[in-house]
Amino acid sequence: MTETTTGRTQPTHGERTAYDGEDVLVDVRGIKVHFPIKRGVIFDKTIGHVYAVDGVDLQIRHGETYGLVGESGCGKSTLGRAILNLEPPTAGSVTFDGVDIASLKGEDLRRKRQDIQMVFQDPMGSLDPRQSVESLLLEGMKAHGLAKDSAAANARLRELLKAVGLPVTALSKYPHEFSGGQRQRIGIARALSVNPKLIVADEPVSALDVSVQAQVINLLEDVQEEFGLTYLVIAHDLAVVRHISDRIGVMYLGALVEEAAADDLYATPLHPYTRALMSAVPVPDPLIEDRREQILLTGDLPSPSNPPTGCRFHTRCPWRQETRCDTERPELRVPDVPGVDAGQRVACHWTEQIASGEITAHPVSGEVVERVEGPDDTDFMGPASISEAL
Amino acid sequence: MTSMSASPSTHPSVHPGAGEPLLSVRDLRVTFQRQGQEPFEAVQGVSFDVRPGQTVGLVGESGCGKSVTSLAIMGLLPKHGNHVSGTVDYEGTNLLTLSDQEMRDKRGKDIAMVFQDPLSSLNPVVPIGIQVTEVLERHRGLSRKAATPVARDLLDRVGIPDPDRRLKDYPHQLSGGMRQRALIAIALACKPRLLIADEPTTALDVTIQAQILALLKELVQDTGTALVMITHDLGVIAGLCDEVNVLYGGRIVERGERHELFAQPRHPYTHGLLASIPRLDAPRGQRLQPIPGSVSDNLPWTHACAFAPRCSQPIEVCTQVMPELEEQHGRALRCHNPVEGHR
Repeated sequence: MTETTTGRTQPTHGERTAYDGEDVLVDVRGIKVHFPIKRGVIFDKTIGHVYAVDGVDLQIRHGETYGLVGESGCGKSTLGRAILNLEPPTAGSVTFDGVDIASLKGEDLRRKRQDIQMVFQDPMGSLDPRQSVESLLLEGMKAHGLAKDSAAANARLRELLKAVGLPVTALSKYPHEFSGGQRQRIGIARALSVNPKLIVADEPVSALDVSVQAQVINLLEDVQEEFGLTYLVIAHDLAVVRHISDRIGVMYLGALVEEAAADDLYATPLHPYTRALMSAVPVPDPLIEDRREQILLTGDLPSPSNPPTGCRFHTRCPWRQETRCDTERPELRVPDVPGVDAGQRVACHWTEQIASGEITAHPVSGEVVERVEGPDDTDFMGPASISEAL
Repeated sequence: MTSMSASPSTHPSVHPGAGEPLLSVRDLRVTFQRQGQEPFEAVQGVSFDVRPGQTVGLVGESGCGKSVTSLAIMGLLPKHGNHVSGTVDYEGTNLLTLSDQEMRDKRGKDIAMVFQDPLSSLNPVVPIGIQVTEVLERHRGLSRKAATPVARDLLDRVGIPDPDRRLKDYPHQLSGGMRQRALIAIALACKPRLLIADEPTTALDVTIQAQILALLKELVQDTGTALVMITHDLGVIAGLCDEVNVLYGGRIVERGERHELFAQPRHPYTHGLLASIPRLDAPRGQRLQPIPGSVSDNLPWTHACAFAPRCSQPIEVCTQVMPELEEQHGRALRCHNPVEGHR
């Protein structure tokens, strides 16, 4: 894993559920991102931390799509930004293609960013309104020395537009002249312009209309095949993530609670939170809606600046037990449940007992969550593009 | 929250969808006029009925006129810069002809509304308790002192834990889900017969959305309140509404009972929407079938079907004649070339 892979390994479609330790493009180990909460008039005193990401291990293989789901405030966006080193991690390491990104500085880091690009949620907010599409697309290419030959650069622009399904006439237009879906296409073209290996897409379709979402999802799938890309897709919409991803990690309060191949996660969700999340997603089919049994979680998401002890989900968990849950933090592990794939990992002490029906759900009384004044998720909005961050 | 399920239903005899319509909207039109610009007709002749205890859904994408319809019904559109015509019949009174004072007496008492963003619909500098008692003082003539225990019970009813303490809290001290519950408590304070909910769960997380939808469903069943649910999410509609109206470009293009509509969508737009959404329960590996283009490709309804440029099966007449909304066996359809067969 530490050896540098020079050539791109061709992704093997189909059987890639089990983690085999090879072919890993991104290797995240024990990553933590803590934001200090500061108070004070003259001296900023740190009075606490927001534990946005608190110990996550994950591996993304060449050519796969890794989906990260969770509710707002669970740290999924921060994790995505930490992988790009846009948010310097407090602890842990991110190895990309054999190189530890956290150890890179200055020019080396800037060069490495050519390989990792990002697609943002709000295409209007992430495209400079005063730049034409041509200049938007060329900016990244120039920064990485890919636009030295203007004829070749022009040909490349045409190729990019064709790949994302926009006419060549779009080059001289400005972002406001496009619809939301088209703007997202420009955002994708910009990410593609520097030939990245990994694209981190943070809520790529949630700002779009329902009928347009499918266009962008299909486009993401098409360009992945065409350019052999690896994706990290971050979204709150479980149905979108399941559709697009090969493997899915479910996050709750800064940590992964379950990780599995997309089909396994849907067929046999093992963690109580995953079960509740699955049962809460409305399905556009009245027959299913009438029949289904919902696991309604009570109360709110606890504050990430004051996370519960032990298992972070124990305050809302219908399967909570008297012992271990509130004292011991569960590790992500392969559970001993018959019929479950070895690639499925769960962070719950009682997975086996819950799966066998030994432990049953019981009602939970809603807990009042005190809101602590601190930075909100929206306050972490960073630069609109990677080149802007430099 | 556990106390809620134990509470007996107060109107067990109300049968959804029975009897005379409570609200009857006929040929509602809303035109926005801006200086130096062509007038824009956001709602172009929308008609539908809501019967006592019934849940009616208005579903469509942004810009289809669903929110403007609800604001026009409530008389909440600004007086200047727009023109509202048609009739909104609520128990024999045309709401559009009422004076501001008469409308204020109806709003919050007979008809209440819940909005998408609870933080901007609540007053940030007034405690939650006062905002609930305010409605009771205004419409039921209670004193602040008499209204406070009622407000406390209302907060308890919508599942806000520790209501005595929450009465003194300001909106920013509550989470998004709790704020939406508080807003529902305010809306239900005077036991309205009609509740209009405009995207009430769009700003919320999915587990919180499930809580709020369960709450709405239970309250509607227990109190016999009719509900108009406005949303873009077909999943929410599928689990909640008795009757569904699909809007496109300011007009209703299809209407039907929810089981029939979802099993056999006849308008290509409804059909296309259902085929384009990734479903949690669908087999993976299937490609989504998007609706091409975007709403900016729409044709004017006056001499064509607005959806024709994006339609999967347009015929010649679609770009020449506007299709009329035709009703048959409780279903309505506005299409020249409808989709045949089951989905």
